[in-house]
Amino acid sequence: MVKINFTLPDGSTRAIDAAPGGSLMKAATSHLVPGIVAECGGNASCATCHVYLETEDVALACPDGSVEDEMLDFTASPRRANSRLSCQVQVGDQLEGLTVEVPGAQV
Amino acid sequence: MVELSLDDMSRDPYPMWARLRAEAPVAYSPSLERYLVTRYADIVELEKTPEVFSSREEDSLLTRVVGHNMLREDNAPHHRIRSAAEPPTRPRQVRDIWSTAFATNCGRVLEDLAPRGRGDLIADFISPLVELNLAAVLGIGGVPRGTMTQWSAHMMAGNGNYADDQEIWARAKAATAEIDEYVRLAVDRVQGSADDSIISAMVHADDPLPLDEVQNNVKVIIGGGINEPLHVFGTGAWQALTDPALRARLVDDPALWRKVFEESARWISPIGLYPRQVLSEYEVAGIRLPAGSRVALVIGSGNRDSAVIQNADVFDIDREPVAHLAFGGGPHFCMGAWVARHQIGALAWPAVFDRLRGLRLVEGFEPEISGWVFRGLKSLPVEWEAVG
Repeated sequence: MVKINFTLPDGSTRAIDAAPGGSLMKAATSHLVPGIVAECGGNASCATCHVYLETEDVALACPDGSVEDEMLDFTASPRRANSRLSCQVQVGDQLEGLTVEVPGAQV
Repeated sequence: MVELSLDDMSRDPYPMWARLRAEAPVAYSPSLERYLVTRYADIVELEKTPEVFSSREEDSLLTRVVGHNMLREDNAPHHRIRSAAEPPTRPRQVRDIWSTAFATNCGRVLEDLAPRGRGDLIADFISPLVELNLAAVLGIGGVPRGTMTQWSAHMMAGNGNYADDQEIWARAKAATAEIDEYVRLAVDRVQGSADDSIISAMVHADDPLPLDEVQNNVKVIIGGGINEPLHVFGTGAWQALTDPALRARLVDDPALWRKVFEESARWISPIGLYPRQVLSEYEVAGIRLPAGSRVALVIGSGNRDSAVIQNADVFDIDREPVAHLAFGGGPHFCMGAWVARHQIGALAWPAVFDRLRGLRLVEGFEPEISGWVFRGLKSLPVEWEAVG
């Protein structure tokens, strides 16, 4: 299991043990982490599962020129350098102990 | 069990949806031969469970109208078509490619309309504008004015023809035969030279779609790409024309029209419900849905569910932002969402309220809103100061 810490818009935190292999979006929604809407269910067509990954690891940055990169220009909360669509982030050891900030608005 | 009067539902489905949400949130309708799922939370749960709730409905009305198509496919066969067709509708393409063409189209339509001084905002403004825009995005040319709106209306009537009206089938069939011919010509054209259009994207995809698949999926896109934006436009324009305080704010800050768009789509969802078929037994809201049974996800009801949306029956652009269900959810999330948001919310409303000075509803206007599978205003007769 991979331990991931979510920071919610109200300042509270939530730690989950996520099964490796699935998406960060699925892990968050199946653990009922609030604030991740994911209207399109993980197909990178809605921009409502936006998160900020608290990391300097470039391997975890959004790939340039991807559909995700395009969608991140249209999120409800401002895009930052560490913005990702959580449906496009795979859960694995690289996320162990990571803090993920849930933005204030998804729609 | 619930018996529905389709006439009552067409006039106003919301009292029935409210009753079902309160008393029987998963109710079987013998006349529709399906379970109606009416609460927001249950709809979201089912939308996010496509492995149980299949889009490949047997004897689908939509498939009867347009043939096999992406809306009635699951998994890889769906993904193949969707990923071929989708790129031109993504938000960056809308911003970088279509926004200029749409603005030109809007200017043309308003130039014709402005000197007249009166007209119907649905038939005379938004219908021609959406036709021009959709023709550009699809990549079909030379379709006479009014034709695409007719096609869309006839196909959508077939798609909602639960009453099995034979005339509705005949009109839908005639419309699809015409579309097939226009698409054939377009496919011939883009085969030699690719362009930015959806038809070109389908023809030149990594896994290219053959002609019949292009034709069938263009029909789906025309079905949803005219009727639905017209209905959302009508709702928002009507609200702005009848609420002076709202209108003043919109004149002051046209960016607020974006909120009008989402709230209009929520408040009177242009698509009221859509079908799914149950692949394996599933329990929701205490009701066991047997394998093989059918459900209708009543998004028009979920969008009025006060358990999730406060004062849901009220049109209010200042409400707490809510993830409404009007675009559907899961893999079939509306492909045209970004096109619609731009052409209606960012372009059509701000332009028509700016250009047609003194725009007002004609005296004695009573809104005619009808439909329960597909719902919206039928006309919006207005007057303005005629200028050249």
